[in-house]
Order: sequence, then structure tokens, then C-alpha cells
Amino acid sequence: MPTPVSAARQCLTEEAARALDDAVAVARRRGHAQTTSLHAVSALLALPSSALRDACARARSSAYAPRLQFRALELSVGVSLDRLPSSKTVDEPPVSNSLMAAIKRSQANQRRHPGSFHFHQIHAQQNLNAAVAANQTAPVLRVEMKHFVLSILDDPIVSRVFGEAGFRSCDIKLAILHPPVRQVSPFARARCPPVFFFNPADSDSTARRSSGGLGFSFPFSRHDDGDENSRRIGEVLARNPLLIGVCASEALKSFTEGLQSGKAGLLPSEISGLSVAHIEKDVSEFVVKGGSEEQLDSRFKEVSRVVEQSSGSGVVLNFGELKSWVGNGVLGDRVSSVVSKLKSLLELHSGKLWLIGAAGSDDVYMKFLGPFPSIEKDWDLHLLPITSSKSSTEGIYSKSSLMGSFVPFGGFCPTPSELKNPFSSTNQCFTRCHACTEKYEQEVASILKAGSALSIASPYSENFPSLLMTELDTGKGVDATKNVLLNSVQTKDGGTALNTRILGLQRKWNEICQRLRHTQSCHKLDIFQAGSKVASAEGIQVVAHTKESSREDSYLNDTQSYSGTASNFQKNFPSNESSFMAMAASPSEKLVKVSESRQIEKGKPCLSPHHVHNIDPPPDRISSSSMAPVTTDLGLGTIYASSSKEPQYMKLQDHKVGPERLPGTYSSEINARTANTSHQIIQSSSRTTPDFKGQFDPRDFKSLQRALIGKVGWQEEAISAISQVISYSRSSGGRHRRSSLRGDIWLTFLGPDKVGKKRIALALAEILYGSRKSLISVDLGSQYRYCETNSIFDHEEVDDYDLKFRGKTVVDYLAGELSRKPHSVVFLENVDKADLPAQISLSQAIRTGKFPDSRGREISINDILFVAATTIMKVKTSHHQEKVSVSFSEEAILAAKRRQMQILFGSVASNASHKQGMNVRVTHNEGTSNLSSIHKRKLIDSSDSAEKCLESKERAQKASRSYLDLNVPVEEIEGECIDGEEYDSDSISESSEAWLEDFLNQVDEKVVLKPFDFDALSAKIIEEINENVKKMLGPEVMLEIDYKAVVQILAAAWLSEEKKAMEDWVEQVLCKSFAEAHKKYKDVSSRYVIRLVVSEQLAAREQTSCVCLPTRINLN
Amino acid sequence: MGNIILEALNVRVVGSGERTLVLAHGIGTDQSVWQRILPYFTPSYRVILYDLVCAGSVNPDYFDFRRYSTLDAFVDDLLAIVDALNVDRCFYVGHSVSAMTGILAAIRRPELFSKLVLVGASPRFLNDKDYHGGFEHGEIEKVFSAMEANYEAWVSGFAPLAVGADVPAAVREFSRTLFNMRPDITLFVSRTVFNSDLRGVLGLVKVPCCVMQTARDVSVPASVAGYLRDHLGGRNTVEMLETEGHLPHLSAPALFAQKLRRALAR
Repeated sequence: MPTPVSAARQCLTEEAARALDDAVAVARRRGHAQTTSLHAVSALLALPSSALRDACARARSSAYAPRLQFRALELSVGVSLDRLPSSKTVDEPPVSNSLMAAIKRSQANQRRHPGSFHFHQIHAQQNLNAAVAANQTAPVLRVEMKHFVLSILDDPIVSRVFGEAGFRSCDIKLAILHPPVRQVSPFARARCPPVFFFNPADSDSTARRSSGGLGFSFPFSRHDDGDENSRRIGEVLARNPLLIGVCASEALKSFTEGLQSGKAGLLPSEISGLSVAHIEKDVSEFVVKGGSEEQLDSRFKEVSRVVEQSSGSGVVLNFGELKSWVGNGVLGDRVSSVVSKLKSLLELHSGKLWLIGAAGSDDVYMKFLGPFPSIEKDWDLHLLPITSSKSSTEGIYSKSSLMGSFVPFGGFCPTPSELKNPFSSTNQCFTRCHACTEKYEQEVASILKAGSALSIASPYSENFPSLLMTELDTGKGVDATKNVLLNSVQTKDGGTALNTRILGLQRKWNEICQRLRHTQSCHKLDIFQAGSKVASAEGIQVVAHTKESSREDSYLNDTQSYSGTASNFQKNFPSNESSFMAMAASPSEKLVKVSESRQIEKGKPCLSPHHVHNIDPPPDRISSSSMAPVTTDLGLGTIYASSSKEPQYMKLQDHKVGPERLPGTYSSEINARTANTSHQIIQSSSRTTPDFKGQFDPRDFKSLQRALIGKVGWQEEAISAISQVISYSRSSGGRHRRSSLRGDIWLTFLGPDKVGKKRIALALAEILYGSRKSLISVDLGSQYRYCETNSIFDHEEVDDYDLKFRGKTVVDYLAGELSRKPHSVVFLENVDKADLPAQISLSQAIRTGKFPDSRGREISINDILFVAATTIMKVKTSHHQEKVSVSFSEEAILAAKRRQMQILFGSVASNASHKQGMNVRVTHNEGTSNLSSIHKRKLIDSSDSAEKCLESKERAQKASRSYLDLNVPVEEIEGECIDGEEYDSDSISESSEAWLEDFLNQVDEKVVLKPFDFDALSAKIIEEINENVKKMLGPEVMLEIDYKAVVQILAAAWLSEEKKAMEDWVEQVLCKSFAEAHKKYKDVSSRYVIRLVVSEQLAAREQTSCVCLPTRINLN
Repeated sequence: MGNIILEALNVRVVGSGERTLVLAHGIGTDQSVWQRILPYFTPSYRVILYDLVCAGSVNPDYFDFRRYSTLDAFVDDLLAIVDALNVDRCFYVGHSVSAMTGILAAIRRPELFSKLVLVGASPRFLNDKDYHGGFEHGEIEKVFSAMEANYEAWVSGFAPLAVGADVPAAVREFSRTLFNMRPDITLFVSRTVFNSDLRGVLGLVKVPCCVMQTARDVSVPASVAGYLRDHLGGRNTVEMLETEGHLPHLSAPALFAQKLRRALAR
């Protein structure tokens, strides 16, 4: 029987009811007797901004043009409706069974959907108030639009209709609902409190009303005999259960008691009515206390008789705790006789007799298995682990009165005004969809967030909120608007309201955009800054996405992409190839000032300065690869660069634009072109290149190189290669990779010199981006490194694994940093150690110019210089390192710890001789000198370790597989690294080698660094110390410096950025200590040895300004 | 039956690979907790994710208070899922309560599991004589009554404690999933877990196990890892994670994934 429309309407929210009304209207118009799902679909599609249309837009297959497909859908719906028999016109065609069923389904669905509790609850509350007032009936769950649509789509007729138009209704459903988001994004589900008050199963509305309308019927009432353990035992009773576990005997007891008291429902019905026989006492009497065998036999016979006579289905024979069978003082042969007796008893009464027993732990059972290895088969045992006791579960039930205290959970009940946090509720309302165009959603999300950023009284409040407020919602203010917007699913408006609001927001934004573009640019900066700032936050995705809104979308994209370039400007980024931009005249566009959105949209990054007028190139142009940039450079005297690159441009240039047009004619070009409707694309530089910061023009190869060498003097060759690449790509406007213009540069530093690499990266950040803060430094190998504590190298940055990456993956950390600092140098240390997600992201970044985070959101890296460093030197270049034996390897230096130093005193050994006037020498072990006995022990220790350091490589190799082996010379470490990978061997590490190779092949330049010459440095330092020693202590005094001490000094010197720092330390700290030592020892002997050693104690953390060496040296 | 449970518990199969990996979350989370781990394994494993019946993402109707009064019912669910997906052998990673479930499942169906990775696992949370589980009975009663009194407050207090206060994102995430659970269910499951005692059955596990434990875990003392290693019946290893918190997969995903990968490969 069809249902009257009014009855159906009661099950729906206002919005859904409106849709139903529309459907009824359709049915009436067509003269159909009933309102079916098809009518509903037709009505839903007719709405301009319906959720269904939205979903279709997103779910449609890309094979057809959207318009065509929608037309097809409309036709198909129309045809299907035409097929329905028409009858005489009814005023209100009642709702057909199938549609009513859909409504019922959606009702059930909505109950299940946790996100809707909220709404439901609020709704129910309101209704309740109404009910109290008007004494109405209890509230019914009203179906939201979304669920309504979903259920309709389930209708086979409807899905056939959609299928005819090339839609798959499951896709559409997915687009409406989105797969439960928790499976996709950790942020997708609500943080906002779900309402627990409804037990959805509970349809007893009177109970609900009895406690203030929000009753919560606890299911404890259902608990009758509720011993889960017994139930399980009953289940396995086909075989003979042996309960194992701490609570096993307890469970056994409660099971047998339950059987005896004949509780119903304990056992499967076919074996109910079992009786129990206990033989535990008899058995233990027999096996432990040495009772007579006859006694036991007679007991067994008795059992036998009971079984035969039992009217019910059989007997359960409880043999009790196994422990009593295996404990001390048990007579083994007696046990085995019991076992065999029981076995024969079982065989005799198969199907009528079951054994049951318990073992407190698996130990007991194992012990029992010892003498009876086949017992499991003989007795047909079923081991049943028992892990909880009945008494304890009873404890829960006895608590049920306490549990009642849940009911008045006052603070729990969120009233709408409590829904303060827009993000959390957003997370609930908006669910993620794979199919959806991610980018657009991000854009909207960022807009939404920009809105919320405003409400936090951002510095931009002058320009912006006033605008927004007036634009968006005059009455309520920004905050309120936002709330309404984000929570609208929870309010009665439902889905379409949300859509329309977002659409409205889009339009308003566009208006804002346009308006602002005519005002000062700083406004834009501020606003878009706000946008970009929040864009990095969690992504929210919006259900709403209509075809009609696509125009607006592009505008949104505009604003978004603009934010990137705008902030570019604010930073006054010096090198900015922002001077390059695409210019095109597009007749269809009114907004000539709209920036480069199209390119961004199409994944073709492009930079643009804000003061150049920019016109959207028509998409067809841009997708054709002939869009080649043409440059004139009218900037600040940087002609050399452009002129030197001129031929290059000519080659790449769009053939339609003659080169002769380029020079000089530039501003007139713009004017001409804005009016011009020819689809030509030229590229022009901005008239006013932002003033370069500092004297460095990165386009200038020489100045860049000079600046770099000033910082890292020892890597000249590498630096020259680096500066060449950078200046080239800077001046040529980025790479031309796959016909797109890219601003990102990728370098790899191969080989040794960890400190040098880092230093170069730092210097690049400083030179190119004006500040050391523009360096994003990530050690991709850090997760592999076990705590390298107190290394002299870890003070230099807070590169702690924990601090940076706790709770994040490297990828997300990097993504976060990238969006925070869109212009920077990214230094990736140990890129060979990148984990899989990092590999994927990096590969994608280098390929596409966008860095994806773990959720697939892409961050533009248009102005990022990537420096990937690895010690591996797979790629052989001309700089092949010759193997020189060095006394100080980089690895040894890297192992240096930040230790206190001390001076020891000893007499000169006879064999000690002056070598070419050197009073200073480096010692490796204690044998070289005789020391004053007091300190000997300590010394031995330390020199022992020095020895270890040098010699026991095998051991060291074993010890530190996890990371770099710091004690092994460089050649070996390379082999070791690869070994280490294999050790960790699975397919992934193999593929990671392949990845590295692939990655390295894609970078712009591979730079091989030379090993740092520690030997020369040490010679220099020792010479310097030698001078000082001679000067201060006289030629007779020898100084022996422990190897470790030298290593530490070298490490410090390597790290120190100021050249004089080391000399200062020698002068101020070392010499002072020598002087003190001399004062102390000079009376003892004229010929003595002082030794500089490293003590076990760690040096204080705060170091002298530039060198990380102890500020004073202990004297002993 | 199979399909019902697959749908009810939001079972998801992702990734491609010969080997199957089951990721089972613990109380207070749902399968989203593995989100950050997932990309490390999808290329080489077929990963099965599901929600425990107590998770906030599962229809509370499915939570039968009588049935889920012991862990065996959770084991039933796990095995039903694995069977419904026709898995004949898999790696199993279980966190907290799911680690217990995994142990029991491996006792019941040893042939099904090639390896168990037990994260933040404990055979028994309560102290006993000669056993340090980390909680006194009185303490835990207090926790329960705090939970009953004000779930919200309890969540906001417990989440940073469990995750580690220094990772706000993870704390937020955990609070969210924890709060999504219906409080009575949370309480009930917690009681079930605290009432469980697997010590007597550990020896029945013959499947090799890897016990993963963070350096500091409010729920599981470090000694428990050793206890598990010594008492589980198979070939066992302990993997200590140089991080803290009860949910390393949430708070230190990269480290966790790394260790897990290695544990699975071994």
C-alpha cells in the first residue's frame, strides 16, 4: 500500500521533505499514481545545487563531456518516467512502497551513522521541548537529505537509470558519503563529541522519555546468566575441553555449577540436560595420597553406570585440576593408570561422556604432556584458553547501578552554542573523497580556514574582516557565519544548504578578489598570506562541488596561487625569476588581472610578480607544449645573464612571437596584448624587479661562487659546479622539464665531508634566500641512528629525531616546513636512507614540481632549492677519489665526543726523541711514554679506546651497523653501507637502491665533494701548538696529544665557521693550561712530558663562542 | 556471515603483495591509527585493516555486552575476518588488546599466522605476586570510576598520558578516536581487558612473536616485554623502540614502521 505523503514527510527533515514535495509535484505533473524513487531523482536533479547533482559531477566518468553526461542522465530519467503508466491526476500522489522503503532504509542508516547522532540528538531535544509543550508524540528520527539521497540511489530502478547515463550509482554514493573517512584520513572524523545517549537499538521511546528524553538503556538488563566462559565451554563440548589459564579452575567450577543447577541457555540445545560427575577427589586420593585402586575402580564403574542410566544427553566428567596430577609426590605409574582408565571409559561411552578439566597454566599442561605425549589425541582434548574469570565479569554487572550515572552526563550534551571549534565539526561534516578533485577542495578548505584565521584577530583584520563580514553575513559576524557554514549538517539545513553557502562564499570571495585587485596590492598580500598560512593545516574536503561552480573554482584557484607569489614578494626574494610570467590575451576573460591560476591548476607552475598584469591564457594554448617562455630582462643591470642566455631563449621561444619583438618594446607589448585577442603567449619580465637583497645576484655565477667559497673554502670544485647550476637555472628561469617552467633546483652532494655539505647548504640558504632560517634540514637517516649521544656534532642543530619527527613522518614534517617556508633550501642528509614514503614524495616532487605529503596534498616547490646529500658515491665521475691512507678519517672525526680534556704529567721516555724540532706528537697508545703512576690507569683506558678507535674495525663494524660506521675509513664504510642495507634485507631496501639511482638521475646536478683534508689541518694545528709549546715551555718539554684529543680538536675545527676560532682556542685555552702545568711541574724535572688527553667526563654543554671545545682544561 | 562482519567492522584490504599483513588496533583507536604506517607496507604487503567492535567507528549495535565479556569474542571476529577474506597465512600486528587477541588467535589457529608482532602488549595489566603488570587493583578501579564520572575529562587527561604529551597531533588524534567510543563500551572493554589474564596460556603460542615495546609506556612496564619473551612458546624477540608512549605507531610512525618492517622481514 502506498503511504500518504504526509506520513512520509514526518520521517524527513525539512530539507528532505522539501525534496519529497518536489518529487510529488513531478509525479502530479506527469499524472502518475504514485511518487516513486524516480520522481525523487528527477526532482533532486532539478534542484540547482542539489547534493545529488554535486555527487554526479564528481563521480562522472571523465570519458564524456560533463554536459553531455548530465543531458544523458536527464533524458534517461525522463524516458523512464515516461514509461510509467499515467492515471488520473491525483492531488498528492502517495509515496510508493519502494520510495518508502528507501526512506526507512535511510532512517536505519542514519541511526547507524555516528556522525548523525549529534544532529539527531539536537533535533530530538528540540522536538522534545515541543513535545513537552504540545504533548505530542515521541520524536521520530528524521532523515537527512544525504541519507535520503543515498537510499534512493540504492533503488534498482534508479541505479539502472543512472547506469544508462554512464554513471555508476555506487560511485555517486561514494561521492555523497565518501568512504568512511576514518579509513582515509585521520582527521576526517569528528573530534566533536558524538552523543552517546541513544542506544540506537533501543526503540523504546518511553524509556527514553522517562529520563529527560535522553534515556540510555544499558544492555546489562539483558544479562541473565551471562557467563561467557561457560558458554564457550559448552560450544566446544563436542570434544573434551581442557581449560587452560589462570582462571581456568574458576571457570570450570562455574561451568559445572551451572550445569548442575540446570541453567538454560548455557549449552547448545542439542546437548542440554547434561549431568556432571566429579572424580577429582577420587583421582587425587589415588595418585597423591596413595588410595587403593579398587576404590577408584568402583568410582569409575559408578560413573559408567550413571552414564548408561542418564536420561539426558550425557555426563560431563570433571577430573579437576591437572596440577594435582603432575605435582611433587605424585606417583607416576598411578597417573598413567588413571589416564588409561579414563581413556577406555571415554571409548566405552563415546558420545555420552565428556571429560572436562582445568590447568592453571600451560606449564602444568606441558608437564602433563611429558609422560603422556599423546594425551591430546587419546582423550580427544580441546585446549580452551580461559583468560577471564566470571567473578570479575560479575563485578562489572554489579556495577550497573554505577553505570547508570552515565545517563545524566550533563556536560556531555553539546548545545549548538557549544560547537565552538569549527575545525572539529568540519571534520565531521566534510568527508573526504578520493575521486574528488583534491586541489579544489584544498582551495576551499583554505578559504574556510582563512575565514577562521581571521576570527582569531589576525593582523590582517584591518583590511579583511570588515570586508568579509559585510560580504558574508551582515548579521552574525564572521564567527557565526563560519559556524553556520561548517556546522550546517548539524543544523537543520542539511547538505544543500552547505553547498549553497560554500558556493556563496566562493562568489563572495571572487568579488573580494576582484575588488581587491583594484585596490592596493598590499591588501592582497595580507589576505592571501592569511590564506596560504592556513592552507598548510589539515585538509578539509567539501562535499559540495557543482559543475556550475567551476568558474568560481578557477577564481579560487587564482586567489590561492596568488598567495604563493604574493608572499614571494613580501619576502623580497632576490633572485626571483618571478620576472617570468606567461602573458596571454584571452578575449573571454573579463578579469584581465587574474593571475596564473590555469597553469597552477594544470600542474604547471609559473611565477608571477604581482604588478604585472596577467591574463589567463586559454587552456588549449597552455596545454600545448609550444608555450615557450621568451624573456627580456629590463631589470637592474643583470644584462649579462640574459644576454648570455639569449640564444637559449630563442630556441625555446614560441614560434609565433618573433624575437625582434622582444627588446625594449615591452611595455607597449603589454598594452597591445591586453587588447589583443590573438592567443599568443609571450613572456615578459616584470618592470620592477624587486631590489636584490645584498650584493648577491644569484644569477651571477661569479659572485655566488665567491660567496660560497668564503663560507666553505675547501670545496672549490664542488662550489664552482654548484654555482654554475644555480646561476644557470636562476637566470634561465628555471628548468624546462617536460615543457613546463620550473623554479625548483635539485642538487645532490655525493661523497664525504658531512660538515662541508651542510655548510654549503646553509650558505646557499643565506645567499639565495637571505637568511639561515631558510634552510630546512632533514636527516633522512636519523631514524636509523641509535642515540649518538654527546657527539660533538649534535650541538650544531637541534636535529633530534624525536623533536622533529615525533608524531610525524618525515614526509609530513617536510611538507609542513615547505608550506611554511616556500622559499628555502631543503637539505636532505642521507638521502639514500629515505624511507619509502619519503622516496615516493621526493620522486614525485622532482618529477612534477610538487611535493606531496602523506595525504597526497601537494605543496608547490617552485622556489625551493633541494640539496640531497649522501655519502654513497655510486655515480662515478671524473673526481674519482684516489685511495690515500689518512691518519684522520672523516669517520673517526665524526665519532668525536664532546669531552673534557685534561693535562697529565709524565717523565720523558728514553726512546722519545725530538723530531725535526717538534715537541708535540700524537700518541696512539700508552706504550709511548711512561707516565706518572697515579694517572696511569686512566690513561690506559683512554688510550685503549684510541686504539680501539683505530684498529678494531671488525668489532666496530659489527657494533654500528645501524648507522654509519664512524670508525672505519671511508672506503670501507661504503661497502659497509651497502652491506647494512642488505642486512636489513627485504625487497624494499633493494628497491631503495634502485630508487636512489633513479632519483640521482633526475637531479639537475650531481656534485661530488672532496674529502676534507684532516691530515693537513691536524698538521697545521699541531704546528701551531708546537710553536706555542716551545715558546712557553721551552724546548725540553714534550707534549703528547692523545689521538682522541686530536680528533676532538679536528672535529671542532671542522665545525667552526670562523677561521680564527681555532687559533683563538689554542691561544686562550690551551696555552693558558700549559702555562699552569708548567708552573706546577717545572720544579720536578726539566725534561718532562705533558700529555693532553680526553677524559671520560663530558664537557659542559655551553662552549666557547665559536669552537666546541672545552673552555678550560683540567690539570692533574 | 563473512560479508556481514567485513562490513560491520569496516574491513579494508589495501596494498599489493604476496604476503598478507593484518593490522589490528587497540582500545581507544580505530584503524585510522595505522594510517601513517600504511604507506610503508602497501607496496609489499596486502594489508588487512579492520575496526574492533568496540571502536567508535563501528555501529554500537554490534557490541554485544555479553558476548564481548571475554577476549575470545574478539578472537572470533579476527578469525572470521581472516577466513572471510580467504587468508591462509598472515603476519599479524596487534596493538594492546589486539596483541592479546592475536596471542589467543595464534593458540587457536597456529597455522594461520607466520608471525605475531605484539605492540604494547601485556598478558595481564594488573599486578600479581611475582608479576608486575603495572596496575594495582585499587588504581584501576579509580580509573574506571573516573571514566564513569566524566568520560570527556578522563579522555582529555588520559590521552596525553598514553600517547606522550609532546606530540599534540597524535594526542588529538587519539583523543578523537577514544572519544568516539561510547563511554559504556570503553569502560566495558577496559574491564574485560583488565580482567584478562593470559599468563597461563602464553606457552601454547608456537608462532614466532616479536614484542615491540617503547622505552616508556604508561600502560605496560618494560619488564612485561621480557616476561612475554620468556613465556611465549615460540621463537621470540623483543624490539625496544627509542621513543615513549603507548602508541608508537601514532607518535613515532616512521620509527615504528622501520622497526616493524624489520621485524616482519626477520
